This record gives sequence, structure tokens and C-alpha cells, in this order.
Amino acid sequence: MTPLQMLTRRQMFRSGTFTLAPLALASLRQQEVMGATQPTSPLPPQVPHFRARAKSVIYLFMIGGPSQLDLFDPKPELLRRDGEVLPDSLLKQAKFAQIQEKQPKIMGSPWSFARHGESGATVSELLPHTASIVDQLSFVKTVKTDDTNHMFAELLINTGWRQFGRPSLGSWVVYGLGGEAANLPAFLVLRSGMRPRSKRANYGNGFLPSKFQGTPLRSAGAPILNLSSPPGFTRRRQRDSIAAINALNRYKLESSGDDEVAARIASYEMAFRMQTAAPELLNLTGETAATLRAYGIQDTSRPSFARNCLLARRMVERGVRFVHLFHGDWDHHTNIAGGLPSQCKQTDQASAALVRDLALRGLLDDTLVVWGGELGRTAVAQKSNKENVAVGRDHHIDAYTMWFAGGGTRAGYSIGSTDDLGYFPVEDSWHVYDLQATVLHLLGLDHERLTYRFQGRDFRLTDVHGNVRYELFT
Amino acid sequence: MSWSWRLILRRLSAKQFSFSLLQPAGTGRFLLRLLALWATTLHAAQMPASEVVDYQQQIRPLLVARCIGCHGPRKQQAGLRLDAPAALRRGGDSGSVIVPGDSGQSLLLQRVVAVEAGKRMPPRGVPLSVVDIQLLRDWIDQGAVMPALVAETERHWAFRRPRQHSPRAVEDLVWGRNPVDQFILARLEAEAMRPARDASVGVRTRRVYLDLLGLLPSWQTVKQQQASRDPDRFERLVDHVLASPRYGERWGRHWLDLARYADSTGYESDRPRVIWMYRDWVIDALNQDLRFDQFVRQQVAGDLYPAATPSQRIATGFFCNGMYDPGVRWEHIIDRLNTVGTVFLGLTLGCAQCHDHKTDPLSQHEFYQLYAFLNEAKMTTVRREHGKLIAHPPPDSATTGNKPADEIMTTEVLQHAAQPTHVFVRGDPAQPGTRVVPGFPAFLWNLSSKATKQNPDRLDLADWLVAEQNPLTARVTVNRVWQRLFGLGLVPTENDFGMQTPPPSHPALLDHLAIQLQRPYWRGLKSLLRTLVTSATYRQASAVHPQFALRDPDNRWVSRQRRLRLEAEVIRDVWLQAGTRLSSKMGGRSVFPEQVAGVLENRATPATWTPSQGEDRYRRGLYTWVWRLTPHPMLPLFDAPDGVAACTNRDRSNVPVQALSLLNDPALVECAQSLARSVAHGDRRGDSDRLESLMRICLSREAHPIESKVLLPLLQQQRSELRADLSLAAQIVAQSDAEPRSQDAVWVVETAAWTVVARVVMNLDEFITRE
Repeated sequence: MTPLQMLTRRQMFRSGTFTLAPLALASLRQQEVMGATQPTSPLPPQVPHFRARAKSVIYLFMIGGPSQLDLFDPKPELLRRDGEVLPDSLLKQAKFAQIQEKQPKIMGSPWSFARHGESGATVSELLPHTASIVDQLSFVKTVKTDDTNHMFAELLINTGWRQFGRPSLGSWVVYGLGGEAANLPAFLVLRSGMRPRSKRANYGNGFLPSKFQGTPLRSAGAPILNLSSPPGFTRRRQRDSIAAINALNRYKLESSGDDEVAARIASYEMAFRMQTAAPELLNLTGETAATLRAYGIQDTSRPSFARNCLLARRMVERGVRFVHLFHGDWDHHTNIAGGLPSQCKQTDQASAALVRDLALRGLLDDTLVVWGGELGRTAVAQKSNKENVAVGRDHHIDAYTMWFAGGGTRAGYSIGSTDDLGYFPVEDSWHVYDLQATVLHLLGLDHERLTYRFQGRDFRLTDVHGNVRYELFT
Repeated sequence: MSWSWRLILRRLSAKQFSFSLLQPAGTGRFLLRLLALWATTLHAAQMPASEVVDYQQQIRPLLVARCIGCHGPRKQQAGLRLDAPAALRRGGDSGSVIVPGDSGQSLLLQRVVAVEAGKRMPPRGVPLSVVDIQLLRDWIDQGAVMPALVAETERHWAFRRPRQHSPRAVEDLVWGRNPVDQFILARLEAEAMRPARDASVGVRTRRVYLDLLGLLPSWQTVKQQQASRDPDRFERLVDHVLASPRYGERWGRHWLDLARYADSTGYESDRPRVIWMYRDWVIDALNQDLRFDQFVRQQVAGDLYPAATPSQRIATGFFCNGMYDPGVRWEHIIDRLNTVGTVFLGLTLGCAQCHDHKTDPLSQHEFYQLYAFLNEAKMTTVRREHGKLIAHPPPDSATTGNKPADEIMTTEVLQHAAQPTHVFVRGDPAQPGTRVVPGFPAFLWNLSSKATKQNPDRLDLADWLVAEQNPLTARVTVNRVWQRLFGLGLVPTENDFGMQTPPPSHPALLDHLAIQLQRPYWRGLKSLLRTLVTSATYRQASAVHPQFALRDPDNRWVSRQRRLRLEAEVIRDVWLQAGTRLSSKMGGRSVFPEQVAGVLENRATPATWTPSQGEDRYRRGLYTWVWRLTPHPMLPLFDAPDGVAACTNRDRSNVPVQALSLLNDPALVECAQSLARSVAHGDRRGDSDRLESLMRICLSREAHPIESKVLLPLLQQQRSELRADLSLAAQIVAQSDAEPRSQDAVWVVETAAWTVVARVVMNLDEFITRE
């Protein structure tokens, strides 16, 4: 819906007399009665700008900044010069977050790398499962961001702006495309481990209407609570109650002009539908033992990254447009030797299983999977004098690695390369704006045309930046 | 002077209005006009033609906010830089941009008023407002005065002491009620906007109850307000409300957000902690309207008072809150310092933990000097006995939240303990560097009277925070209070007043309020709250104005009030209150209301949740026990803070999973059931009257005919459906064993049908919103 359409609708509410009450009661009823026709989503599907390659996105967001130099971008030169001082030429340009040492030392990766698959992609021994699917992935090794601070880097990659207040990528996507699932929110958020540092802004609606915000599921215990109606409330009674609530809320919307009421109305309609759809979504008993094994899920009642990956597949299967899955913490300033393997162990198998599972079910063509964090890590070591605490790596923003799968992206492909010390890109730098423009493009949205008028200006996710990187496409 | 005139005028107009009701129309209005004209003339005579424009206060912030993206330290397009006086004088590639005394000849002005899109600056976004342009014009015409050389820190508005400004003259002399309104109105008029009409008496009453007490007003209160002819009825109501002990609970919870209060220690282990006495101290201090400087001093250093009382020592629980793990004591000290930064100074001190602050002039060395104040202390558990605090061994780490009775009178406090402090090289505690002693950062203000003291301690830190020279504490405090009442601070980045913060929407108002709070001596928050809630600005209706919404979508100019969804705890409180369940018991150990099963699963260390009995099940939300790792599900669902760091502004998310909770959570359904009982079997007879009473209880107003047209048919439909299926009706009623069992089918059906309707009303957006 364009802002103009929304405005007109609001004006209509303001000027017109209130005639929706009986209709509203009827509308939910009708949807139920007319079982044959699919009920419409509160965020009905919108026509994209051009042919979409992908229908939905699963964005595996690795909070804290996984070390590209220890996972995907091996640099023998670092090993050879391990312990040497970083050359002055690089030091001058370095933007460290924490390192204050005058002469930080180069650190080679303690892990071995091997080439895998027909594509011959190099992956570290820490990610054996990811290594087994490299022919289905595209690596971009030269992602660039602008801020060495986690919070602002998160905001930049997820909202296109280094301060709070802008809509998130997921919100832009559902604003542009609506949802396919009538009975589930179009934009769902899953989390295992820590909260992202800029919290809800990562999936918030910013200045877009409130109904475009991501709905977070619980990260402990049951993902969604209170899915059953109270005793005595049959489905019909619940439906009639919600119809009455929304009829009165529509009246409130008319008199207040408050967008939050519109979102509340959408929420109640969705809540009603979720009462049947969500238990089915969350019920993993139908998944075969082989599937659970593939993801590495031992106990389906226990929250984990793996369970979230499986849930993400079930979500896109049911038409959810955007699944933003957060996991962390990858922020290994010290003790990378202990911390990194542990993060990899928590995520490697399930990430790979997800891609494979999507492919098996024929969903990968329509689903774009993105893996990566808000920044990368330095070629030099960050020291810790703590006894028995090893060194780590500081934040690096000039080039780090992310991978993509499905959704019209090339398979078994690698884009961009970095210099011998893994410091700067030698070819094909991908700013996070490019990433945003490209993701939107795969979904059939033109990042320059997907705008929203706010404070007298047409805003877009990529602000005045961003280039679609066609080299990623099949 | 001009202000008191306006007050007189207001009084007159109020009287005149009631008078004119009895008189032939027109007479009263004419008198009013005459008076207005007289006052305007008086006022105009006192005002200079145009006020002297201040570069620091008005011009630089404007240029920084709108221009430095292209003409600042990073980029100098056309060779022009606008954020520093020297560069501004020098001009850009096309020569000087300012001709002092002649705005018409000044390129700067020509470009901001240019009509041609390609020429007008700034090239993107909204053009400068009429007011801003006039400011620039006046400033240049007045000679473009700017200081020759200004220290970087002195340039920043927030680091200079608040100054008393007189508000600009306004045209509408009737609307304003107190100085707040004059500042707001001046800006609105300059923007060619106007304030919204007053909210109805009912909305206003409900608003002030929810804002100040977090509770619904009784229908009797609303009716009294509606019926009263006293022109000061609302002011009297506000005084009454501020005298209620519920005020301390409501505003205490706001403070607990800042103090990162919780009943467990966080981290993986998340052990229980007994610190509710601190929570009660906050409630009590606010109810007594403790002067704000005392409120701060006691929390920062109450233990260092000469002959400190138990209450003053308990106040230091402020620092004992926060996550705690004895293995990383230094993290706890950093957390304390960050809290001081956020809560009192509005500064992100934490950035200087590892390096000199990148945007604010705080060196890493200074960070550790501040750290030293808080490092020289240790936490200890004390026990209250006969009004005294005595040493107490720390609670056994294996105990759980449900403490045996003899342990519940303990609390955590701070006490002085000498401790050397070193700079952590790169923020790493394992790399101690230079030794530092407690000291204050150079860029803010010097504590002159104490400067001679050899070894300043936490009490000096407290004095420094509330010193009169302090430009930040008062501003940060009033801004946060403003934000709670209007939804958006005068400084929208309420947790960052540092160098990167754009100027406030109403700089003069912010300073005015800060000075009111701080000078000639600090006051408690009640007088500030009274001023704000009795202003015409606060009384405005909240409906969105379609045209103003396009020009000012964030409502920064406050041309209306704002609808605000209630906080997690308050949502539950009003459900309980409407459901006649809410306990009025205050204070004491935290309680365990019912929660759905499974919340405590998958914890590293097990925790218990034995539901409280009796009225403790229905205590106000702020008394609910908070396990940091696994809080009561309603808290995070409605954006209660996680207690990891000071929270200055809660989110207000709006998602379907919240609707599921409000519809289906058994604890809330219970409230609908009991509300239905009181409505269906109360004094009122007949469906319409009963519905009326339901609406009054929940929404503090009468039902709109449209609402009756939806709800009465729903009631009748439910009645007939439930009559046909008595077993369902019985389930909905969920008769408890305590009740005299009624075999009367009519009773059951009536109660069930009204439960359905009550639950609908309690799920309305309006019920969980402050209008």
C-alpha cells in the first residue's frame, strides 16, 4: 500500500460515518463459513516491482561478528607472518574497536582449511557441515560496513542507518510484499543465545506503520504462550469476541487516527488465526527422526539454534515472508580458541541442514537464506593477559564474509577477494547497502522505488546508496 | 510580568465564559477581545523588536543538525564547513557566505530560502522551517556575532549550564495555563500550527490517574470532575492524586527501570537476591517527595553520611542492583559507572572503558578516575532488626527465591572499602595499567568547594552529580519526566546528551524546567509533575491531526497529546483493578503470581515459582518477583526491561502474541470473570445499564451508541447460545469452591454471557492505552 492510499483510507475514516461495525462482525464469520476461499492476511500480498526470484527470506543473523579469517577466508600469509607487527601502511588505516596496542601482532588462524565440493570453496575445519553444502552456497568475502561498534553496525546492516528510528529490512520487505501466510505473521523473529545489541530495532518498523514490525517468539520454554482459548470459549465464541473487539477498535481508529490501533486490529485478527495455525507450526512430532537428526535436535522441547532453524523451514513452508533468526555471541575479542569452536558447534550442523532440507523439499528455489553478522574480525590479535585466556580478534569492518543460498542466487560460487592479510578487498567490495539492495531485488523489489514518505521526504532502506549486485544471481 | 497578566486573563476568561452563558451572546466575547488587545499591547511594549539571537544556543545547533552532513568535519562540499566559527567566517569556494548585518547579501541565507530545488539547501529532506530561517536572518542582521575561539566542549549546548530564557510572545493569549504552555505555543505558532482542543474531562482524569498512579480512576471521581464548577477542580484532583501512596509505586517503577532492579543476579547462574528493601525505599522516598538531590545523594553514597541511618544505607542498594557474579567484580563496577552515566549525566561513559571516548571529551584515564569512586566499595548483606541494620552473612547460594521467613529481612547495601584502581589497558581487567585515584572529568564542571579535598569519595561524587554547576543532571531528569508524560523527550535521545546529540525541540523550555527543579534549591519531583500535568499542553486531546501529522509525524512540536500503550505491569494492574482483584498492600518481599507452566524450564540453575497465596496473588505488578533470566512472561511480552543495564525508555511493541495473552492468559481471564460477576449481579438492572457500568469501570466513560450496538447484540447472542449449552456456560463462569454454589441456571448463563462481554471490553485498545 502506498502512503497515499493509507492516507486516503485514514481520511475516509475521519470523514465518513461509522458503518463498519456490523460488517466487521460479519467479515470474520464469512471467512470462516466460506472455508473454500482462503482467508486473507492482515498484510495481503502485494505485487512486486518486477519478477521475483525469491518469495521468502531466512536470515541467519550471527550476532557479534564471526571471524571470517578462521571460517571462510584463509590467509596463509597470516600464518607465515604470525606474531609480526602489522605493517605501518595497514596500521594507519586500521579502525579498531578495542585494540589500543601501538603495534598489534598478526595472528594466523589456528584452524586448518580445505577445499570442498566441486566448487572447491575453502572452509575451515570448524564448519564441517557447512563445508558439505558449499556447492549450494555463494560466498561474498568482501562485505563492508561503516561502524566498529556492534550496536551501530547492527543498525546499519539491519536498518540501513546507524541510528535508531529506521525500519528494519524485514519490515521493508513485508511493507513491499505483504504476507503469503494468512494464518501466521508475515515477519517472525527467532532467537537463541544473546539478544542483539540494538534489540527490537533490528526487527522494528521504524517510521513504517506499526503492523509491519517483526513478531518475536520466546527464546525460552514454549515459543508462543496462550494459544488455547479459555475454557468454554469455543472457536465460534472466540471469533465472535474478536469480531466485537475489532469492530470497536475500528471505531477507535476512526476517532483517534492512531496507527497503533490499526496494528492492534491486525494483531487480533492474526492472533485468532494463529490459535490454530501456530500449534500446527510448532508441533514437531510430525518431523521424522531423520530430519531431527539432520538438524541435530535431540529434544524438540528444548529451545536451540537447531530447533529455530527447523521452525524457520516450517515457517517459510507455510508462507511466512521473512524469518529473522538471531544467534550469538560471536564476539571473540579474547579466547577465540575456546569461543569460536563452541559457536560453530551450536550452529554449523543446523545451518547446513536447513539449506539441504529446503532443497530437498523444493523450497530452496523460492527461499533466500542469508548467513552472517554485523561485522568481521581483525587479522591481528587482541591480547589478553588473563591466565589461561587466549587471544582473540578485534572488530574488522572493511571486508568480511557472508554466505547466501537459494532464492535465485548462484550456487557454488564465490564473490570478492581480500588482500594477503585479509585486510582490504582487492576486488568487488560489497557494502551492506549493496547487500540490502540485492536482497530486495531478489524478492522483486527495486530498492530505489520501495519508498515511504516521512517528514516530507521519501525514505528508502538504502538511503542514497546501494547497488544491486547481479553477479550473485543465477 | 507578562506572564502574570496572562494568568489574570485566564481567570477572567473562565469567569467571563460562565457569565456569558447568562448574558445575550456576544457581550462576554467582546470584553474578552478587549482584554486580549490590552494585554497584547502591554506585552509588545515590553519586548524588543526581535530577540538577540545566541550563536551557541540557537545557531550552531541548527547548522549542526541540518548542514554538517555535507559541510562538517568529515565532508566539506564546496569547501564549506559550517560547524566552527572560524570556518564559517572564512566561507567556501565561492567566498564568504555571511555578510554580517546584511542577511539579504549573505549567501547562506540566499541558499536556504532559494525556491529552485537545485539551489535550495539542504538539498534533501524538509527545507528549514520559517522559524529557523528567521533565526538565521535575525542573527546575521544583528551582526552574526560568534565567539572567536570556543573550546570544543563549550560549544555543546548540553555541557553549558541551563539559562533562564523568557518565552517568546504568543498570539493566542487564552490557551496557555502556565509557562510550559507559552514555550510550546510560541513554537507551534511559529510553525503555523495550533494546539489541539482539550481532552474531555473523563479522558483527562483517566490520563492523570494512569500517568501518576498507574491505576484507573473510579467512576465517582470522573463524575465529580465532570460535575464540579470549581475552575481549579483539575488542579485539586492532581494534588489529591499526588498525595496517594500509589504515586510512589508508579514512579518508583520508572526509577527501578533506571536502577536495573530485579530479584536475581543474572548471568547463567541467575541466583536469587534479596533487595526488595531498596525497592520499598524508592517508593517511600518518592511518596515523601524527597528533594531530588537527597534522593540522588542517598542512593549514591547514603552509607557515607555521618551516622548514616538504616534507610540511607538501604538506598545504596541502587548500586547493588544489576547483574552480579563475584568472579567478575570489575564488570559490576563498570555497570555501576555506566548506570551513573546514563541515569544522571545522560552520557555513554562506557565507551571510554577501552579507549578515549570517540565522540565525547572523556579520556580513558578519566573514566577510571570515575571508576575509582565506585571501586572503593564493597557489597554486603545486612539484616534489619529493631530499626537497625546489622551485619549478616550472605544468603546461602543454594537457597531459592522463596526464602525462609528469617531471611527476608535482609538486604544488600554498599559500604566503603579501600581498593586501589588501575586503568584497564584496552578495557581488559587482566591488564592493569597506571594507578588512578578518584577524580572528576575535566570537561564538565569543577567541584570548587571540594576541590581541595585530598581523597574525594563517593559522597563527593554524589555532590558533584547534584552540584549547581552541573549542566546535565537536572536537564536529563526533567527530560525523562517529560518523555513519560508526552511519549517523546524534548531531547529524543533521552539516554545521550553527548556531543552528537541534536538540540532539544524546545531548548528554552528544557532549561526552564531544569532550573525550576534545581534552583534556588532542588525540589522533589512532585512539583515538576504538578506543573506539567496541569499545563494546557498536557490536557490536549490525543487524536491525530491529519495535516499536522504530515508535517510533524513525531509530534515534536506537541500539537496534541499522544496515545501511549500502558507498560507491562500497569496492564496487569488495570486488569486486576477492573476485575476487583487488585490488592492495595504495599511493599515487602516480592511475590509470585500465577504464571503458565514451562517458564522456568531449561535454566542452568533451577529456580522455583511457588504461586503466592491470598492477596499476594493480586499485588501490583512491580511487586512480582523478577528472575532476570526467566521473567514472568507478561513482562518481556509487553517490553518490560531485562535489567541488564539502565533502561531509560521502554519499547511499545504491538504484535499478535500480545493479543493472545490478553485474550487467553488464565490469570487475566479470571479478572474478566470477576468483573462480570460484579456487573451482572450488581445494583444496576437491565442490560443497557449494566453495560454502562462495565464501560465506566473499564474506560471511565459512557458507552457510545455504536458500542452498545455491537455489545448488546453480542450479549444477547451469547445468552441464547449459552442457555443452549449450560456446560460451556459453567466452564466460562469457573465457579470457585469458595463461592456459594448456585444451582440457578439463569445465574450461570448471565454470569457467563457477561464474562464474554467484559473480556471484550478489557481487550479493547483503549483499555490498555493512556489516551
